[in-house]
Amino acid sequence: MELVRAERRDEAIAQLLPAFRRKVFGLAYSFLRNREAAEDVTQDVFIKVWRALPRFDGRASVSTWIYTIARNASLSALRARRPQSSLSDPEAMEALQAIDPAPSADAMVDRAALLRLVDQLPTKQRQVVMLFYVEEQSHEEVATMLSMPVGTVKTLLHRARATLSAAVGM
Amino acid sequence: MSNPDSELDRRLRALFGGLDTGTDFDARLMARLRVESQTDAAERAIRVRQEERERYRKALLGLQSWRRSMLRLLTLDTLGITLVLVVVLVTAWPDLNRDVLNISLQYGPYIATLLGVLLAAVPVVGMWAEQTRRPIRLLASSHRFTR
Repeated sequence: MELVRAERRDEAIAQLLPAFRRKVFGLAYSFLRNREAAEDVTQDVFIKVWRALPRFDGRASVSTWIYTIARNASLSALRARRPQSSLSDPEAMEALQAIDPAPSADAMVDRAALLRLVDQLPTKQRQVVMLFYVEEQSHEEVATMLSMPVGTVKTLLHRARATLSAAVGM
Repeated sequence: MSNPDSELDRRLRALFGGLDTGTDFDARLMARLRVESQTDAAERAIRVRQEERERYRKALLGLQSWRRSMLRLLTLDTLGITLVLVVVLVTAWPDLNRDVLNISLQYGPYIATLLGVLLAAVPVVGMWAEQTRRPIRLLASSHRFTR
């Protein structure tokens, strides 16, 4: 807030970026399921944050404010791009495989199968699962990101886990 | 025997845990912000110019409205009423100011002549004001010579 008041928005963004880049990207990705689109949205979110910083009054927390911008930007992008991609699209698979560039053949099969299973979950469950495991986030953080009660996040995660466990035979 | 949930957790963490933007993300964002910053400054300058232009236009309109209202007041009726009021005041209350009464008695004919001239000038001034009225120019526009 001091940096914003001092008209040093670039510095403020430079401080916010490491803390929120992956979270915003994860949130956008959970909506769009496309790496490029999610990156574009993440860029747009930070540009919007930069523009709106002088108007940020600090009534809500910075994270709540940024997640709200990210959610709205993701939904707008989602509406703009049809048809929807899915996590099991070759592009999405490639993006997620880029996390571990040299997995074994078995691991790749496992990963592809698990991705398909996650993709088949209901939207909210899928989003909660993705966000929960990106950066090991807490239930509270995921709840803030998706603007839903913590209890709902726990329930959705529990159901998703149960479905996935049953599907992979664990 | 491993806990099934923790095994699933491990696999999901492996799947999504490393999800991140491309390596050049920050550099691209900062480049965009620099462009935005320049655009922002240019937009701010345009906004200031527009505000100044608007302020000038309002001031000009205010001035014109003041001139119009002054001209509207300058009528035969207004002058007649003023004259009557002066006469009534002087007649009804001569003791208030002996000097005023003396001056009016001494210079009565001149005052009456002056009022007559003013009354005669009103229509002329009105006609002149109508003829010299021009549309307001907000800014000095450049003259273009066309053939």
